[in-house]
Amino acid sequence: MTIETEEFDKAVLLKVSGRMDAENSHEFEEACEQWISRGAKHLIADLDGLQYVSSMGLRSFLSVAQKLQSSSGSLILCGLHGLPRQVFELTRLIGLFPVFDTAQQAIATL
Amino acid sequence: MDPAARRLTLPARVESVAAFREFVRSGAVAAEVPAGDLETLDLVLEEILMNIARYAYVADSGGATDLSGLAEVAFAPDGPGKLYVEIADWGNAFNPLDVEPPDFSRGLAERPIGGLGVFLVRSLVSDIAYRREADRNIMSFGFPAAGFPAPGGFSEPGA
Repeated sequence: MTIETEEFDKAVLLKVSGRMDAENSHEFEEACEQWISRGAKHLIADLDGLQYVSSMGLRSFLSVAQKLQSSSGSLILCGLHGLPRQVFELTRLIGLFPVFDTAQQAIATL
Repeated sequence: MDPAARRLTLPARVESVAAFREFVRSGAVAAEVPAGDLETLDLVLEEILMNIARYAYVADSGGATDLSGLAEVAFAPDGPGKLYVEIADWGNAFNPLDVEPPDFSRGLAERPIGGLGVFLVRSLVSDIAYRREADRNIMSFGFPAAGFPAPGGFSEPGA
């Protein structure tokens, strides 16, 4: 899994690519927590390059979203497709996150 | 035993998941499981094996995990594009099928963070079953989910 970040005025974009599994999902959580500790309110996870996510990855998304919500922020998802989208839909987590097709659409709403 | 069955036994640890995954993936490719389903098979294996690694060998008193505990994965082809899989451990008796499904009515703040793995497995395979046999927990399932016939199960090695 690789995570590339880009800072915008109102949000930080994290482009997550590859496989998020039991061995590495903590890296995503830690990356998000670093931005939260620096005051970021809205994080956008661009998952267009994500091929795989297991329940350990889902835990990370949920944990980060809960932290951001408690400070009136949000974790926004975009680019969900394939198995990751199926997993978010099966677990009905998809209804708990703002979801957009592209990062540009997500940024435009903030 | 089923002459076509293959088995791999490794320490029940997170570090073993990749080797188990490659082992079953090779069988799935040979059985002509559709390429688009292989990542889903990876996911099912990871969920079950991570549960074993985290919970099967925890001492009853809640103490340290016994790191010498093992997990075993066996599979056999079952018709074109289909695989029958069994995953076993010698740890604490635990039937994952007894786990309650997640409470989907809760909002983000109240949604529990755990309990999604077993639910995913049940959603993505067919004919999932659990049995406790000679101090072993054995999960069996068919893959892919759609239209998989009821499996007959393997006999024990050397039986």
